[in-house]
Parts: sequence; structure tokens; C-alpha cells
Amino acid sequence: MRLTLNGRPREVPVEPGERLLALLHRLHLTGAKFGCGQGECGACTVLVNGRLSYSCLALAEACDGLDVVTVEGLGGTADHELAPLQRAFVAYDAAQCGYCTPGQLIAATHLLERHPTPTDDQIREGMSGNLCRCGTYPKIAAAIRAVSRGDFAGGVPGPGANVAPPAARGTETNRGA
Amino acid sequence: MARRARGAGRTFVKTVVDVEGRTEERVVEVPAFEPDPWAEAADLAIVGTRAPRADATEKVTGRARYTADMTRPGMLHALILRSPIARGTLTSYDVAAARAVPGVVDVLGPGDAPPKARLFPREIAYAGQPVAAVCAESLEAAAAGARAMRTAFAPQPFAATFESATAPGAPLVRPKGNVMDGSPVVEQRGDVEAGLRAADVVVRREYRTPVQLHSAIEPHGAVAEWEADRLTIWESTQGIFRVRQQVAAALDMPQSKVRVIKQYMGGGFGAKNGAAAHTYVAALFARRTGRPVRCVLSRKAEQSDAGNRPATTQRVTIGATRDGTLTAIALSADIPLGVGGWEGGPGQIYHELYACPNVRTEETFAYVNASAMQAFRAPGYAEGAFGLESAMNALARELGMDPLALRQRNFAGVDPRRARPWSGNALRECYDEAARRFDWVRRETRRHAAAPGPLPTVVRGFGMAAQLWPTGGGPPSYAHVRVNNDGSIDVLAGTQDLGTGARTVLAQIAAEALGAKLDDVRAVIGDTESLPYTGNSWGSMTTPSVGPAARMAAEDARRLLLEAAAPMLGVEPSDLEVHDSRVMVRDTDRSMTIREVAAQLGDVMIIGRGTRGPNPPDRTIATFGAQFAEVEVDVGTGVVRVLRIVAAHDAGRIINPTLAESQLEGGVIQGLGYALFEERVLDAKTGVPLNADLHDYRIPTIADVPAIEAFFVGRADPIANHVGARGLAEPPIIPTAPAIAAAVADAIGAEVTQIPLTPWRVRAALARTHGDQ
Repeated sequence: MRLTLNGRPREVPVEPGERLLALLHRLHLTGAKFGCGQGECGACTVLVNGRLSYSCLALAEACDGLDVVTVEGLGGTADHELAPLQRAFVAYDAAQCGYCTPGQLIAATHLLERHPTPTDDQIREGMSGNLCRCGTYPKIAAAIRAVSRGDFAGGVPGPGANVAPPAARGTETNRGA
Repeated sequence: MARRARGAGRTFVKTVVDVEGRTEERVVEVPAFEPDPWAEAADLAIVGTRAPRADATEKVTGRARYTADMTRPGMLHALILRSPIARGTLTSYDVAAARAVPGVVDVLGPGDAPPKARLFPREIAYAGQPVAAVCAESLEAAAAGARAMRTAFAPQPFAATFESATAPGAPLVRPKGNVMDGSPVVEQRGDVEAGLRAADVVVRREYRTPVQLHSAIEPHGAVAEWEADRLTIWESTQGIFRVRQQVAAALDMPQSKVRVIKQYMGGGFGAKNGAAAHTYVAALFARRTGRPVRCVLSRKAEQSDAGNRPATTQRVTIGATRDGTLTAIALSADIPLGVGGWEGGPGQIYHELYACPNVRTEETFAYVNASAMQAFRAPGYAEGAFGLESAMNALARELGMDPLALRQRNFAGVDPRRARPWSGNALRECYDEAARRFDWVRRETRRHAAAPGPLPTVVRGFGMAAQLWPTGGGPPSYAHVRVNNDGSIDVLAGTQDLGTGARTVLAQIAAEALGAKLDDVRAVIGDTESLPYTGNSWGSMTTPSVGPAARMAAEDARRLLLEAAAPMLGVEPSDLEVHDSRVMVRDTDRSMTIREVAAQLGDVMIIGRGTRGPNPPDRTIATFGAQFAEVEVDVGTGVVRVLRIVAAHDAGRIINPTLAESQLEGGVIQGLGYALFEERVLDAKTGVPLNADLHDYRIPTIADVPAIEAFFVGRADPIANHVGARGLAEPPIIPTAPAIAAAVADAIGAEVTQIPLTPWRVRAALARTHGDQ
């Protein structure tokens, strides 16, 4: 089967009944995670033709001819080039254990494509399909808001040039206070 | 560097260590010297800064590899079959049929595992108990093999609740009986009866808390691979050395031939503290087949047999004089543990949080036909705080007293349980600062701020609760610091980063102590093969346990570095100081970078060694906090919406405020789930979990999260250890549920005494108090 994977055309063998998540892992793209296998947690979220998809449920063969984007495809082509959302997640400490983070980033990417300056309600609605047991939600919301403000636009500092996290933002909320 | 001499020349002494709310006496190695504590006013350049999380880039790019992602060449997939009945016997299973399924490579059933692994007994004691395992070329083939096995069971009557397990003639959960040895556990000081007689007001309540599931997004899992007689296990674990010890013992192997690796894990929260069935299954299949094997739990297995916070029933009696001075606190608690567990009961916080002369707790632990409990973030204390703090709030209402003032009046200036000073305690500052930021005194002005609707059905309320958690950490923990000959620096410690930030925090501590730039220092953790021993990452003890060892190792490396650099610069070591990875001759402009010193040393490597020394013998080390909650309740539907949580905590010196605040927010959010939704439900007829998934077992989503203002007050704690830090990851979950429950009670004028505060429980409380509406 042929598909476009993170911007590159690929021809891959698919096994009958294979899920997209299993295919991605077989291709060594392990950013999308197994969390529940039943579309509840969102850790496996990817974009298929620009729409959110739980890759643990999606059949791989149904992606024939489609465009699939995983967390590995969010950054630039250079090895350490991070997308604005990725840099914002680093700066705002929006990943603790990091296991749900790839799915959160995909969902956030999709959210900002639909709503470049999302309201708090739009953030809540757009991100509520992605569970985080560590409780990084306030930081995720803050990172999304920062990107929507343009704080991370332009330039592509690598990991050694991480934007310093903002000073104590204890009053930052996901409800706009 | 000033040094503290080894006590009485003894290298090995006994000390008391706090572990998950319990204390244990252990033999420890006393370091030959320890650095002087960093003073509160110490001029620290890296410790205390908001450095970015060291592994954040790996996490946001998807490059961080977790156990569940791990593949090895030729790897097989293992699946564990589990009992669908709560008690009875496995009567038949068809290994041959399973083996005949295409792709199936091997099967393990009763009798196939070494006895010490305690796998697959035929006698069933809970629904979800492992009964057999299949390994195959794919997970799908393993599942087909499991179906073909056609397991059959003879069910027997079971007892899945405390009441049924302790009733006369109850089915036996364990051969020796259903009440745990040593129950009831009784602890008392003073005379509770006399205290109650002296009280002007006595409040009696029965509180209930649910079984809460850890629900880490990465399920438990292991990948095992043998090379000759040596075994490597990648395990999603909070304790690599503990897994190594357990696996070596179970398989009758020397520990030196077992290697356990954990670089990244998708959450632990207390449930991943050791080897379990999946670990042994992976290791055994890998040995039998000669191929690597991965065994990762399904979500259903994760939610039904991977640990839980046990339920409690807490009967609380609390008395005070008219001015709010506590005269007696009494608790009688029932705790159904599941088929196994330990005495992580709710009683301890009753003895510790308030200066009350008369306290008695009685806890009865029972085995029931349900999956075993395991430590879950502040085990015992989260449950106990719901009972104690709810009773305190009820008492405040009875007294007509501000609940904050009631707590301030009963502040414990010394540890009332052990009658000795705290190493440090800024609980009063937590009360004051949280109340100030919450604007507690003017809360009434917000009471009627709810958006007006067609019917005035939404009411607002305010509540608060306090917290304590014993978290000094302690020995043994070892760390090495090595300066490579290009000037890069490795901190080596066999610890774990659960997402808490240990990688970052240890690098910050070592960089500070050595005088290096943080970018030059990397923490190497998570591998038993080559790293010095540290204990499990539990009990919020990684920073206070491993942090001092890392500091000492870095100080040792710094000492060696200065001795090496002195002749190069033509001065004495005492003339030198190190900052920003540069060795400088004091009061001159002569200097060398660490890299230049290391390059001149060539292949001579500077290796500093650090050991965590004992805790002070005469102090109690604990973390404190207070949380304030603002909620809205729809009295028509009983739905509770948390609007705001203000959380102030004191954990001594904070190494990295950003990462520490993330821990506070995470604890509050898990506490919100405990307060509002989370409750494992067993079917009364079968004992089978009814919500073993993430849809019907509901954890908070981003849409549930209120405004959270979480911060630290307090100072460095130089008495606790020379880094000055106490633990902080578990404490924030402790007061959240009682603070929210108090706010709900304040809003609706009725107390809901059972969490989670579901709409139907809120409605029932309203109906009891105000009549049906």
C-alpha cells in the first residue's frame, strides 16, 4: 500500500487487520503510543488527511493513498528542528512522563489549524480527547495559548537553545481566570 | 569544603527511613564526611532555577523510548489469560489447542513457572488473576491462542467487600483467614474518653472513600531478552534494583546476571514498584524460546489487576472546646485490601496533623476477593485526610468557626505523634499565603457570583483542607560524578525518572556543587548494570535521597578537580574556585576551563563518589500544605464543577520550581478525580470489575481542570539533609478531595460523606437535608 507518511511517499506492506498504530511501530515510528487500544486515551493520536485519528483503532489498509502525520512529522526536516508547539511544550513544561505528549501535540496542532486563536472553551473541547494522568493540562493549555499568541513563531532554536520557561505563572489558568 | 565527621567512627549504623508513609529501621553506611548544608541564604546559581526539563526534547519529538514501544530483533509477544471468576478453581485448559494456533510459539500454565514466581495457581482468589500465558509471533496470534485454550472454572462463593469478608462463615480469601495478622492496628496517645468528656462539641461521622485506580497511560510492561545465562529486562518501573532483586530470586539466579533498564516510563504513581506477573512471563518465555519477549498489559488488565488505592470506611469522632481547641480524635477504620497488600491505612495522619493530646486510631485490614492494593500517591494519607479533614470541617461548622482558624488554633508546633521537633515546618505560612491568594476572608462576596440563569439553581461554596506527608527520604543512595576528558560531566545514579524530573534535578544539584554549567552535566540513570545503587522512586524520596548523594559526589569531584588544576595554575587548591565550568584563581584573572583541566589530565579520570548519610535521629521530616477550593454545584442535577484550587506547600528547598509546580498541579488534578469521579466498581453478583477501562473509569480530562494556583512557601531545610530538600510529589493529592468536599458542603448546606461526589450522592445529601427538591 502507498501512503504519504510525514510528508514522504512510502510504499509499505500491510498485514490484514493490522492497525495503523502497529504499522507505525513496525516502521520504527514509535511516537504514537499504545495506551488503551480502544480509542479512549488518545495517546496514539495521529493526523490522517488532516483529521484526528486514533491510530490504535484505524485500520492500516484504510490509509491507502492517504496522508498520515505523526509527532515525528511535526518538526522540520533538520534533525533537531522543533515546531512552535513542541518548543512551547518544552518551555511550559507541558510534558511530565511524556507518554501522552505526542498525542497531545497532534491534537494541539489540529486545534490550531482549525482555530489559530482558540478560546479557552475551544482548547477544552479540542483537547479533551487526550488523557494525561500526570496532570499537565494547565501547562498544555498555557503552551497552546502561547503559540496562538505567536510567542514561538519564527526562528528554529534547537534543543540546546530551549526558550527559558516563563517566570512563575502560578496564576495562569485554563479558564482565562 | 567543611566536613562532618563520621559519628563515633562507625561506618554502618541503624537509621529510620520513611517509605510510603511507613517508617523502617535500616542499616546504613555513614559517609566519611558530608558537605555542610547549603544555607537558606546560600548563593546558588543553578539550584532553585527554572531550568527546562532535561529530557523534554526527547518527549516532544517522540524520540523517548518507553517499554511499551520497545522492539528487539525476533521479538515475540506474550499475553496473560486472566480469571473471569472471583473465587474458585481452574478446572481445565487446553494447551495443545493453543499451541496448534498458527503463530503461537509457547504456552505457560499452572505448574510451569518456578514456585518463587508465584504464577498461575489453580485456586482463584480474584477476578483478573493470571491463570496462563501465551506467546506468539504477534499479539493477534497470542490472542487467538488464548481463545483456543478454552479455560474452564468451577466458581465458588466469594467475598469482595469488607463486610462480606469479615462476616461469620465468610468464604476464605486466604487459607489463614480474612483479617490481616495484627489487625486491628491500634495506636493511641492520651485518653480519648476523657478528652471527649472535656469537649463542648463532639462531631461523629462515617466517611467512605473508593478504590482508586492508578491508570497510568503506559500500562505495566516488560521486554525480556537472554544472552547465554544473562537476562536483560526493560521494565516500566519505579525501582530497577528492586525488579532485579525480585527476578533474580524468583528465577534462582545471581543478581549480577540480571540487568534491568528503564529509561522512560509512562507514569507510575506507586503501581510500578516491582516485578509482577508480566515480568516473569516475559523472562520465562524468553528463556524457553530463546527469543526476546514483550509482555505489556492490555488496558483492561491494567485497570483490573495492576494495583489500586484501597477503599476505606472511617468512623471519626472528634471533640473540641468552644474555642476550637481539640480535645480528642478517634478513628475506627475498615480497609479491604484485596487479596494482598500492606497496612497503608488512613490512621497515621490522624496522629500527626494536629496538636491534640488524646488520639486513638483502630484500623482493621481485611483480605477480600479482589485485586491487591498497591501504594498509590500518598497511600493512606489521601484516604485519611478525607476523613480527618472532613471531620475538622464538620467540627468548624458545628462550632460556627472559620475552618482556617480552627486549624491555626490546633497547629502542631512539634510532631505530636513522636513528641519531637520537625526538621522544618511552614504549614502556618501555607495557611496564610494560600488564604491570601484565595482571598478567603472576602469569599462571601463571591458566593452569589454564579451566572444568573432562568432558575437560580447554581450555588457556590468554599472549602479548605491541610496536608502532611512524612518524606525525608534517606539512605542508602549512592552517586558517582565523572568528569570526562572533554570536560563533559556525567552524574551516575541507579535511580528512576517517572516524569517527576529526577534527571533534571540531579543534574542541577551536581552542576551547582561542582561549579559546572548545567549544559555540561547529564544525569545517567535507569540501568542496574553500571550505575550505583539507589532505592525505588517511591515515597517522594528521590530528590531528598539521591540529591544529597549526587551533591556529595560532585563535591568530591570538585575537590579532585581543584587538586588537579592547582599545579597547572601554580597555586594551592585552596586558592581556587569553580564557576560556570571554569576553575579560577581567587582574586586574579587567571583561570582554566574544566575542559582544559580535563584535557591536560588526559586519560586520568576524575570520579567523585557520594553517599546519602543518615537522617537526623531526633527530628521528624515532613512536607506540609494547605489547599483552598471554590466550587459551583447545580442543585438541580447534583453536578459539581470545581472553579479554582489554590495550593500552598512547604517542601523545604525547591530545586526546580517549574518542575515542582508541575508535580503540585498533577497531584491536585488526581485529587480532583478522586473527589469527583474515580471509583472502581465490582459487580456484586460476580466480583468482576465493571469499569476496567478509561471510559467508564473516568479520570480528569482537560475540560475538568479548574484554575489552579499552586506554589511553594517555606525555606531550605538544612536539618533534613545538606541539600535542604524534602519530597513533594505525593503531598499535593492529599488535601484536594476534602477541600472540594468542604466547598460542596458549604455550597449546598449539606455534607456528602462519601467520595466520589457523584451527582446522585450530592442530590441524596440535598434531599436528606432540605427535602426533595
